[in-house]
Amino acid sequence: MKLEVQNVKVSLKSREILKDVTLKLENGEILAVLGPNGSGKSTLLRTIFGILKPMEGVVLYDGKSMDLDEIAKIAAYLPQEVPETKLRVIDVVLLGRTPHLSGIKKATRKDLYIALKALKAVNLENFAERVFNELSGGEKQKVMLARLFAQEPKIMLLDEPTAHLDLSAQIEIMRLVKSKVVEGSSAIVALHDINLAATFADKIVMLKNGVIHYEGRADEVLTPESIREIYGIDSIVKKIGKYVFVTPKVISSKNGKHVHVICGGGSGTAIIQSLVEAGYRVSAGVLNVLDSDWETAVDLGCEVICEAPFSEISEENHNKNLKLVEEANAVVLTNLNLGKGNLKNLFAAKRASELKKLVVIEKDPFKYRNFAGKVAEEVYESITKSSVVVKNEGDAIEAVRILVNG
Amino acid sequence: MKVLLLILLCIISMFLGVFLGPAGIIDFEDPVMRSLALDYRLPRTILAMLVGAALASSGCAMQAFFRNPLADPYILGVSSAASAGAAIAISIGFAATSNIILAAFVSSLLTSFAVYRLGKRGESYAILLAGIAVASFLSGLTAIVIYFSQESVHEILFWTMGSFSKASWQKVTIILFPFILGTFYLIINTWNLNAVLLGDEHAKSLGLDIEKFRRELIAVVSLLTSASVAVCGVIGFVGIIVPHTMRLIFGESHQKLLPAAIIFGMTIMPFVDLLSRISTSGEIPVGAMTAMIGAPFFIYVLRRGL
Repeated sequence: MKLEVQNVKVSLKSREILKDVTLKLENGEILAVLGPNGSGKSTLLRTIFGILKPMEGVVLYDGKSMDLDEIAKIAAYLPQEVPETKLRVIDVVLLGRTPHLSGIKKATRKDLYIALKALKAVNLENFAERVFNELSGGEKQKVMLARLFAQEPKIMLLDEPTAHLDLSAQIEIMRLVKSKVVEGSSAIVALHDINLAATFADKIVMLKNGVIHYEGRADEVLTPESIREIYGIDSIVKKIGKYVFVTPKVISSKNGKHVHVICGGGSGTAIIQSLVEAGYRVSAGVLNVLDSDWETAVDLGCEVICEAPFSEISEENHNKNLKLVEEANAVVLTNLNLGKGNLKNLFAAKRASELKKLVVIEKDPFKYRNFAGKVAEEVYESITKSSVVVKNEGDAIEAVRILVNG
Repeated sequence: MKVLLLILLCIISMFLGVFLGPAGIIDFEDPVMRSLALDYRLPRTILAMLVGAALASSGCAMQAFFRNPLADPYILGVSSAASAGAAIAISIGFAATSNIILAAFVSSLLTSFAVYRLGKRGESYAILLAGIAVASFLSGLTAIVIYFSQESVHEILFWTMGSFSKASWQKVTIILFPFILGTFYLIINTWNLNAVLLGDEHAKSLGLDIEKFRRELIAVVSLLTSASVAVCGVIGFVGIIVPHTMRLIFGESHQKLLPAAIIFGMTIMPFVDLLSRISTSGEIPVGAMTAMIGAPFFIYVLRRGL
């Protein structure tokens, strides 16, 4: 079954909710619809199901335009709100047979068989006689899914089926939908969880104010730019193989103070995150590209002075580093290993200690971390004499706070 | 098993209604007693059965309609409309019994449609609010009519208190057609009543024309309750208690609940009427009796937990 939505416009109470929406769904596909509240996700699903009539444009099932009662025989729609009823589970699931009954509606033996099979498909075969209202949130939604399956749809339309569910229930619901799609149907799922969409959907459309802004595979569509445009938030997007992960950036109100972090080899990851979360503008350097501190700093949107992988710090980058040290309200020297390649970072730290704004995190004695010889040892000693030395990141944050606020 | 027991109870109740009474146990050898049983007690019992079933089934339907177990068949303003209609008919001189019944019936029907039209634009509670507003307006109207026509107070009060004391075969025929039509409609639509319980959006997701079904439901309930009120006045609580009790026994699904409520309504109404006839030397209005028995029973049921 092929679904086409062509140039659909929908208005509710003279407000235009969908403006010229076009999309296609092929058999065997899961299409996720992402978008903020009020973007028109529910309206889109209701229009596809025939509950709402578009002002312009058409919804075509295998090329045909149909009415609600006909659509209900080939498609099934799961509204967002979970019903409240004391009906037994089996009664609820049986209602899924409604579009297939005619005349005086009554469940036949076959309908009961299909309903029980649907309950089994969602792993609730022992729940038939239970009262719907007495189930947990996850169980209720699985019963609703069984109701959907009992309708034997070619196309499933699901409106935020994972809302209000715990993590395992969310995954289970999406897996069940996926397994049904694999058996030979297709699905359109409105979701709030970008990562769930990225994991389970073959295609994603991103909707905002009734317009599709992006459309395509997760790895094509999900970028920090698209997420900023649709949701208005900054995020970190990572791609591992075919998987895409999106994490929102946790940024408290910027306090306008600048902290420069001299780090490397993973020693700066924790303090950079803490400083960003505490609202500081954080810069870091000099770091080799692909160093784990470099990844963290770049992901969190910090200004980073970077050097080519496995290369010694150049004079040019060292000067940039010194400039940031001078500009910063405070500088943190992390518990980094020092070798010939990054020795210049120690001199940058020395400059900071001379300016009385250095905090040194010393977890391990320097001699265990020093691979740059006697000179480095002497410089480090002189630095520690005129700066604040702390044992861990928590103390470092406190020291920075005191330094910055005078 | 439970159904058989219910039917048995219903039959017993019917027999009691015919055989017992203030005049004692019927002796069919005696022509006077026989005439009393056939011309007076039998229509009275049948009328009580039909009204009980009509109120119970429309209570069921309204509770599904509003998805609220406290919804009542009189929610559409029918109760005050009947007495207002009757009061106006009496005060302007249409005092023949059939005229009064007709006036009560027509005014009830018109009122329930008015309430539906006033409330239908909003959510379902808008109908509730419209029902309350219209009912209080009509009660006010009735009070004014009573104030100015003191002789017919008793007759007007008949509609507000509810009684089968004026039962007759004529009244049975009046309610019979609406009763058959209404309950038949509800019985063939138990599936849709279940769908309504899931909420409108879910009912639509099953491909149902839910607005049409709701309109039909209101029409049927208006017909059933208007006919009931016109023949015997307002009898409270039956429309809530009967479905409620049956829900505890048979569950929420209307495939069993609705027939059970109809049978239990048929059982309980003649029984309560019998109590109202024989418990004192006079006759307590049956509406008062249902309230006296119904309210404590209702509280018992609620406390037992639902």
